[in-house]
Amino acid sequence: MLLKALSADWLKLRRTWIGWLVLLGPIGVIGLQSVNYGLRYHYLMKKYEADLWGNLILNVQYLAAPAMLLGITLLASLISGIEHREQSWKQVLALPISRLTVFTSKFTMIQFLLFVACTLLSGGTLLLGGVLGFGMDIPWGMLLLKCYFPWLAAMPIIALQSWLSITNRNQAVPITIGILVSIVSMYAAQMPDWMPLKWPLLVNESHIPIYSVITGLSTGLVIYSLSLVHFARKDVD
Amino acid sequence: MSDAFVQTTQLTKRYGSRTAVNQINLELNKQDIYGFLGPNGAGKTTTIRMLLGLIRPTSGSIRMFGKSFPKSRMDVLKKVGSLVESPSYYGHLNACENLETIRRIIDVPAARIDEVLSIVGLTKDAKRVVKGYSLGMRQRLGIAAALLGSPELLILDEPTNGLDPAGILEMRELIKSLPDQYGITVLVSSHLLSEIEQMANRVGIIQHGSILFQDSLEMLQRQAKHHIRLAVSDPRQAAHTISTWGIHAAQHEDLLTISYVPNEQVALIVQQLVQNGHSIYRIVDQRQSLEEIFLSLTGKERS
Ligand SMILES: Nc1ncnc2c1ncn2[C@@H]1O[C@H](COP(=O)(O)OP(=O)(O)OP(=O)(O)O)[C@@H](O)[C@H]1O
Ligand SMILES: [Mg+2]
Repeated sequence: MLLKALSADWLKLRRTWIGWLVLLGPIGVIGLQSVNYGLRYHYLMKKYEADLWGNLILNVQYLAAPAMLLGITLLASLISGIEHREQSWKQVLALPISRLTVFTSKFTMIQFLLFVACTLLSGGTLLLGGVLGFGMDIPWGMLLLKCYFPWLAAMPIIALQSWLSITNRNQAVPITIGILVSIVSMYAAQMPDWMPLKWPLLVNESHIPIYSVITGLSTGLVIYSLSLVHFARKDVD
Repeated sequence: MSDAFVQTTQLTKRYGSRTAVNQINLELNKQDIYGFLGPNGAGKTTTIRMLLGLIRPTSGSIRMFGKSFPKSRMDVLKKVGSLVESPSYYGHLNACENLETIRRIIDVPAARIDEVLSIVGLTKDAKRVVKGYSLGMRQRLGIAAALLGSPELLILDEPTNGLDPAGILEMRELIKSLPDQYGITVLVSSHLLSEIEQMANRVGIIQHGSILFQDSLEMLQRQAKHHIRLAVSDPRQAAHTISTWGIHAAQHEDLLTISYVPNEQVALIVQQLVQNGHSIYRIVDQRQSLEEIFLSLTGKERS
C-alpha cells in the first residue's frame, strides 16, 4: 500500500519546483565553496596542506548544515502544499487507504529527496576536490559520514517540519519556524548537547558522531509516531 | 439492524457548543437518488464529511452496505466515490495525470481513466493542465475522479455549484442515468429544491442540523396544499359572506383565498355569492408549489 501511495505522490511532483530545489541546494553549497577556494586558492592550499580533502569536506559541511535545515523546511512545505492548494486532502483521505499510509508516504518522500540531496552533495564535493587537484587519496569514510549523518541526526527537525506542514493549511507557520530554526542553528555549535539543533553538526562531548545520529533518529521516531497519531484522528476540512 | 443501503443512527456532530448535525437518521435504499436538501449552513457538508470518514461524529453511528463505519473503513470506501464542496485537483497536472494519482491507489485498470473522461466529456481536454480549466471543467473532472473506482455509492455535495444552465442540465442527466446504467446509488446535496425535484426519488430536508422531512418525492408533493382563489367584485363583503358559513377566506387585494373544499361546496359558495349580488370574475384552483412547502418547512419567507 505504501508503494502505491508513493508512486501517486511521485507523479504529483511532475512540473513542480521540487526537483530543482533538490538539485539547487547542493549546487549552491558546492558553488559557494568553489568561489571560496577559487579566490583564495594559494592561501588555502598552504593552510590546509596537511589534509586537503578533510578540510574541504569540513568547509562544505559548514555551509551545508544550515542549507539542509532550510531545505527541510521548503521541501516539507512544497510537498504538503500540493495537497493544501486545492484542498485535495479531502479527496485523498476519502480513498480506501489508511491515513497512516498517506502520512508515511509524504514523510518518506521528503526523506528520499533529502537523501538525493545528500548524495549530490557528496558527489559535488568529490568533483570540486578533483578539479582543485587534491588527488586520489580520498577519505571515503569521512566523506560519507559528513554527508549522510547530518541528515539522519536532523530527524527530529524533519519530523517536526513534516508534521507542521502537513497539518497546517497556512504554511506561514511552518516556514517561519523553519527559517528561525535555520538561523538559530548557525550558533548551534555553542549550544548544550541536548539541543536537537546541535545534533546535525555531529559534535558532542564524547566526540563520537554516531551518538548524535542515534539520539536524532530515536527522537525523530518519537515525534513521527506522535504526529501519526494526531494525523489519524484529525478532522479534515 | 434494518437493511438500508446507507443508514445513520442519531448521527451528531458538535463543534464546541454549536451543534452542526443533530441526531439525524438518514436512510438510503439501493439505487436511490437521494436528494439531501437544506439551506446554507444546514449541516449537509458536515454530514457528508462524516459519511466519508473525514471527520468523526460526536455521537451516533453509520452503517453502509451492511457494514459499520468507520470500523470497516477500507471495505466501505472502496465502494464510495465522492465530490465534497469544491472539486479537488492538482493544477499543475493534466486531467489524465490527476486521475492517475488516484488510480495508482485504488488499483483499477488504466483504461478506466479514458472511460470516465468520456463519461464527463473531458476527453478532448485530457492533456491540458488543469490550472487552465474553467470551473465547470474542474467540476466535471471532480465527477470523473469520483466515478473512477466504479463506486456503488456516489456522494456529491452541491455538484452543480458554479455550472451554467447547460452544465447543470448535463450534470442532472448524468446523475439521473447512474442508477439505471451502472446500478449506482447517489446521495446528492443541494440548497435548491427545484434541482432535487428534477432528479431525486427520495428527499431528506435538513435545517439547523436536524432532519425535517425524509420520504419519497411523491410524499413531499402530496403534502402540497390546495387552495382555491376567487376574484370577485367586492372582496371584502364576499369574505364576510363566506365566513358566515364557517369558511375562512383570506383577502389579498381583489382576490379571496380559501383552503381546499370539495366540488359541491365550491358550487354552493359560488351560487350564494351570485345570489348576494357579487360578480365572480375568475375561480382558480391553486396548488402550493414544492418550493413553498420547502420554505414553510424550513421556516423561511419568500422575499
Ligand atoms: N470546522 C468547523 N468548525 C466550527 N463550525 C463548523 C465547522 N464546520 C462547519 N461548521 C458549522 O456547522 C454548520 C453546518 O455547516 P455545513 O458546512 O455542514 O453546512 P452546509 O449545509 O453544507 O451549508 P452550505 O449550503 O453553505 O454548504 C454551520 O453552522 C457551520 O458554521
Ligand atoms: Mg456545504
